[in-house]
Amino acid sequence: MSELSGVLLKAQMGKFDEVSVLVEENHRVMVKLWNTEPSVAQSWLETNIHLRLAKSGRLWVLSYEARDPVYILKHAENLLKIADRVEQSELYAPLPEPGVCKPLSGVYDGKVESYMEDPSGLIGEIIDSSISQGVDRVAGALTLTKSKITLVNSRGFECEEYKTSVEAYARAFKGDYSGHWAYGQTGVNIQAIREVGRKAGYYASITSKRVDVSPGEYRVAVSPLVVGNLFNYLSFMSSALYVLIGFSVFAKYRPGEKIGSENVSLYDKPRDTMLPGARGFDDEGVETFDKPIIEHGVVKNILHNTGTASKMQAKSTGNAGWIYPSPWNLEIASGDLKEEEIPSALGSGLIILNNWYTRLQNYYEGYFSTVSRDMALLVKNGEIEGHVGRVRIATSFPRLLNNVIGVSRERYDISWWEVRTPTRAPFMILENIQVTKPEV
Amino acid sequence: MSFSEELALSLLDRGLTLGAKYVEVRFQDDYGYGVSLRNNKLMSVGVTRTRGVGIRVIVDGSLGFAATNSLSIEDLYKAVDKAFTRAKATARLRKNPIEFSEEKPGRAKYRVVEKEQLMDFKIEDAISTLSGIYKSVEGEIKEAKLVSMVESLSVHIQEKMIMTSEGGYVESRIPRLFISIGSTLIYGGRSIQRFKEFGASGGWELIDEWRPEQVVLSDLKNLEKVLVKGTAPPSDKVDVVLGPEVVGLIAHESSGHPMEADRILGREAAQAGESYVKPEMIGRRKIGNQHATVIEDPTIPGSYGFYLYDDECIRARPRYLYKEGLINEPLHNRHTAWIFKTSSNGAARAMNYALEPIIRMSNTYIAPGDLSFEELIEDIELGIYVKSYMEWNIDDARWNQRYVGLEAYVIRGGELAEPVLNPVLEFTTEWFYSNIVGKDRNLEFHPRTCGKGEPSQGVPVWFGGPNVRLGKMRVGVLK
Repeated sequence: MSELSGVLLKAQMGKFDEVSVLVEENHRVMVKLWNTEPSVAQSWLETNIHLRLAKSGRLWVLSYEARDPVYILKHAENLLKIADRVEQSELYAPLPEPGVCKPLSGVYDGKVESYMEDPSGLIGEIIDSSISQGVDRVAGALTLTKSKITLVNSRGFECEEYKTSVEAYARAFKGDYSGHWAYGQTGVNIQAIREVGRKAGYYASITSKRVDVSPGEYRVAVSPLVVGNLFNYLSFMSSALYVLIGFSVFAKYRPGEKIGSENVSLYDKPRDTMLPGARGFDDEGVETFDKPIIEHGVVKNILHNTGTASKMQAKSTGNAGWIYPSPWNLEIASGDLKEEEIPSALGSGLIILNNWYTRLQNYYEGYFSTVSRDMALLVKNGEIEGHVGRVRIATSFPRLLNNVIGVSRERYDISWWEVRTPTRAPFMILENIQVTKPEV
Repeated sequence: MSFSEELALSLLDRGLTLGAKYVEVRFQDDYGYGVSLRNNKLMSVGVTRTRGVGIRVIVDGSLGFAATNSLSIEDLYKAVDKAFTRAKATARLRKNPIEFSEEKPGRAKYRVVEKEQLMDFKIEDAISTLSGIYKSVEGEIKEAKLVSMVESLSVHIQEKMIMTSEGGYVESRIPRLFISIGSTLIYGGRSIQRFKEFGASGGWELIDEWRPEQVVLSDLKNLEKVLVKGTAPPSDKVDVVLGPEVVGLIAHESSGHPMEADRILGREAAQAGESYVKPEMIGRRKIGNQHATVIEDPTIPGSYGFYLYDDECIRARPRYLYKEGLINEPLHNRHTAWIFKTSSNGAARAMNYALEPIIRMSNTYIAPGDLSFEELIEDIELGIYVKSYMEWNIDDARWNQRYVGLEAYVIRGGELAEPVLNPVLEFTTEWFYSNIVGKDRNLEFHPRTCGKGEPSQGVPVWFGGPNVRLGKMRVGVLK
């Protein structure tokens, strides 16, 4: 137990029925790139403290990105004074029996720490591999993190876990065209970091021809960046809390019901030590485990902490968040298509290599749209005709999931600005997907 | 504040002694609390505090930033050293040195006054406010079913003390209150979802001003009509009138963001994207007609995006992004101002100590006209009025955009008629600003949290405008 977490736990025991203290100590370095040079080198030395306090069914969550135990203790005193005047939380459930402390191994790479002192070598790899593809300029970011997480609670759980992570992404530009790629793992993989720059440059220069496309239904291939983004949204909605509040497609499609084609399987993978979201225990001290959210098109699990599980007569899935259960890492099942065969397997349609700004009209029904960025390619008879510019996929999650007709064998570990839950994602081919763009 | 001026001065000295050309020290304390309810039952009470120091240095033409939430002198010195050494380490990759525009830095202290203090820790009052909203609606939705209402209220106090090695000194305290109501209505096989938000700077007195019980009830009763009786929009090209909530969003997305100078220059290229605006267009290129005037103004009293000095100690002022259709003045910080050979207009904001100040919007709106709403629509034979939205997006150059309406009506014979379900509008930035044919005088603002940066930082903003009438266009339907 760290000194800080011990002090806070002891101070609150006896005053509240239950006390949990979660301390995150992060040392992080990020270098941002613009126009083929760094825009800023950023460093963080942070200790973040989170408390879950419960008394007579009242539930309080305190979050401090501040190293100030005195202030925290004062706040806790204030909460205690008003505890009787506030109603019980409907999400309160007693903390679970403490599990055995089994921190994950294989999630700490000492090389990350050494690159934090001077990240310029890794930045150089991204720039050089991108420029080698003949592009004009490259932007992006490299983030290196070393973290320690400590959880103690009044049920006797006590555990700490050390981890490192690397996130790299690049966007390369050639004239008006651009390409993007991303990588996220717990360790430094120089080859994969080079590949970020190379693939971004390759996609930026895959065609120099502009072609037009009319709005309508298309067969669409989407890259792991797009799959990662869309399945991030889907997985957020798999949190039982979002189901409870109705802002989830899983409020309509329940476990056991079909939401997609046989080709679609989505897993929460906290035990995957390659992916940066890996965690051995959740915020309630429950040992994490891998689980399907969707398997072969059927909803298998929504993600619970003990509070939501109690409310919905289920069991914790080891995904606490004290209030919001959430996924740790995502993995989407591979298929049998080879990546290089995507255009021929698509036949005629569009390849959308990156997207952003996914927004939903209706979470319950799953209606959304998302906009392409970087290359969006028109393919005819398996051949790339040219770049169609920025278009929009406008559909619903159930429709999209039911229209997955092909999945690539190759998958990539993706983490970037638009894919915040690390995701191992393949290419996918979707059919009958509405593609729109302004007609005025 | 427990961070002293002397401590800040010693950090400035350390950075300068190490060899930095510029040093900026920002102590920032963000604190508050929030409650959330689901269907009038308490889910959680949260208390937050984010407090520490962010330090920026320029060394050998390279910009370094470091942040720590330890206020020990050793850790603060370490942060200065990290900002310095990592900036220096990446300096060899630079081709163009980072410079700041010459400015007279501000020296000021200011605070937003709360008539009723937010930090009086009124958790019971917060719960009671949200409960009142739910109760006002509960029995009134009669045809459709209100299957869920998730409500949250948050209090946020932001205190900053900023000192720069060039003599800037700004201390500020801005209290903010925010309420969000997310509702789901179901009728037959159809459903509709809505987020209604209230936000401003000030104190508890804002609740009286907002009248959230009446506003949410009216909003949801109208949406019930849309859900129960709404039909598809007309299939022919029709006149389109947009309400202030939609107009404000458009102003934010298609004039505010593309007029951020860092985006124009490519600093956000790999994250929030670039801009259709190129440096040579500023002051020369028309993007709209005489109605297309968009103002960005941090100094609006009581606004959600209020501030008087930015985080580089530059005095804030209103900026005319588009002026009668002309691409006029981008939002600048000192670095972009130096590149553009102009002065900063005070747009650098950081949401907490651990985030670098970057160019952000504050309160963005389309200038109102002088018509009444009735006059605006009186000669429309067949049209559509879109008052609120749920889904929207825009491409990363801020050109191709989409808005899907929530509360929407057919306009027939100059009057609002039957409700319309999920009308889809897609147009380009130039089409929108070139096709404004009229504006009424009803200027309204709406609060949102705007995201940008890496790490991503959400800042409070207002956007707004009047009711705006556009030329004819084809309105799509959700498929």
